[in-house]
Amino acid sequence: MKLKYSLVTRRTFLNTLFGGWLAAFFSGTFYALMRFAFPTLGKEPDFVVLNKKDFMDLASNSIKRFPWGGTVGLYYTKADGSVLALKGVCSHMECNVDYKPAEKRFYCACHQGWFDENGTNIKGPPPKPLEIFVITEEDEKLIIAKKGVKVELPKA
Amino acid sequence: MNCPRLKDWLEERYDLKGIKRLAKGKLIPEHRWDFWYYTGGITLFLFIIQFVTGMLLAMYYVPHIDFAHKSIIEIVTKLNMGWFFRSLHHWGSQLAIVFLFIHLFGTLLTKAYRKPRELVWVTGFILLGLSIFFGLSGYLLLWDERAFAAVRVATGGAGAFPFIGWFIKAFLRGSMDVTGDTLLRFYAFHVAILPLITLGLVGLHLVLVQVHGMSVPLALEKEKRREIPFFPNVFYKDLAVWLVVLGVLATLATFFPPEIGVKADPLAPPPEDVKPEWYFLFLLQTLKLFPGSIMGLNGETIAILLVSGGILFFFLIPFFDRKSSRGEKSPLFTWIGVIYLLYFLTMTAVGYLS
Repeated sequence: MKLKYSLVTRRTFLNTLFGGWLAAFFSGTFYALMRFAFPTLGKEPDFVVLNKKDFMDLASNSIKRFPWGGTVGLYYTKADGSVLALKGVCSHMECNVDYKPAEKRFYCACHQGWFDENGTNIKGPPPKPLEIFVITEEDEKLIIAKKGVKVELPKA
Repeated sequence: MNCPRLKDWLEERYDLKGIKRLAKGKLIPEHRWDFWYYTGGITLFLFIIQFVTGMLLAMYYVPHIDFAHKSIIEIVTKLNMGWFFRSLHHWGSQLAIVFLFIHLFGTLLTKAYRKPRELVWVTGFILLGLSIFFGLSGYLLLWDERAFAAVRVATGGAGAFPFIGWFIKAFLRGSMDVTGDTLLRFYAFHVAILPLITLGLVGLHLVLVQVHGMSVPLALEKEKRREIPFFPNVFYKDLAVWLVVLGVLATLATFFPPEIGVKADPLAPPPEDVKPEWYFLFLLQTLKLFPGSIMGLNGETIAILLVSGGILFFFLIPFFDRKSSRGEKSPLFTWIGVIYLLYFLTMTAVGYLS
């Protein structure tokens, strides 16, 4: 069957062609821009390795900070001498927490959040406890790892 | 200054008389609420000051995590007049935000947003959002303890948005945490991206105001009122008001130079009583009202959603207020405006005093 007229006019054909070309051009441009604007994000570390001797003689009821990726971890010796490692970042709005030895509590100055000596949220807006890390000792090294993470040290 | 030959030269090429006629034809209504008209002009003036002082500061500021804090101290202590321009830039931003809010609530309460001026409201509202982002990004450039904590909270708060939160957060931070990448990114926003968008939007906002002419409050619309020419009457009044604002600004800048805190340290906790800029306090106070979790859901997410809903409603008021768009009185939206204003004022005051 031969149609007397074309279903697609020259105008429609050209508009579709140019429109499609423009759409392809702009989506490609947008994709490239977005790819560039978003960096390859670093991951939060699974574990960090510290020097044991820097942390061994920490006085009881005090903390020592160590870098945890872009944020901070706390090595904490309780008043009774037991140790704990936790992430020093408030579970509410990500401010760094401070330790108050007098009250034996962790405190976030941004929105007045409080955590007890086990990192449990007890007062203020924080919705969750502080993250607790697992501490393992290996020779001169102190390995602080996220819970449930298998630590594989690179062979020296 | 009278250069007849230059005038002739231009007249032969451009329709100067036509432009003159157009300028002469611009009339401003005169009534008892016409002082609101000046708030927009003052904001424009403050924006101009921000652009000029910002250009000056950009010549000496070093956007690098190791040098940013030090470069500001050097601008303030070593450069000729450096303290003055940094102080002007700081106080200019504070006053600009104050007058943006005054202009916003004036527009809201006189219902100047009503048909046909919805787009004037929309462009103005976006400009307010951009200005607040200007403030936040500019503040991080100091790279002191307070700025660091404020930006962590603000970008982290955006991360509490369901579904797209991580996306916004990563885009703003340029990294998992607030780092040197964030500083550079905020610098790019502050000196390149935001100024260009702002310039375009301010232009559009002003063109739209010229197209529509000045809005007259509903209650006075039916009355007979005088109209006075913009050139020269209102123009001179504008200039006089700007001069007063400049005086206030220079006085504040001279007698209350802004401080700069201790250099930010990602390992250190923020200082006691850390508070963000005053225009974030109402948000902060609202967030404090919500407990950590509500019926098993994350309280933070709910708070952020409610706040965003409130702001979105505010933004869309011209489209919800059908009565005033028909030229009828609309007391409901007057009350909504008053409630928004009171909420903003009380929460800011509570945040400031607590």
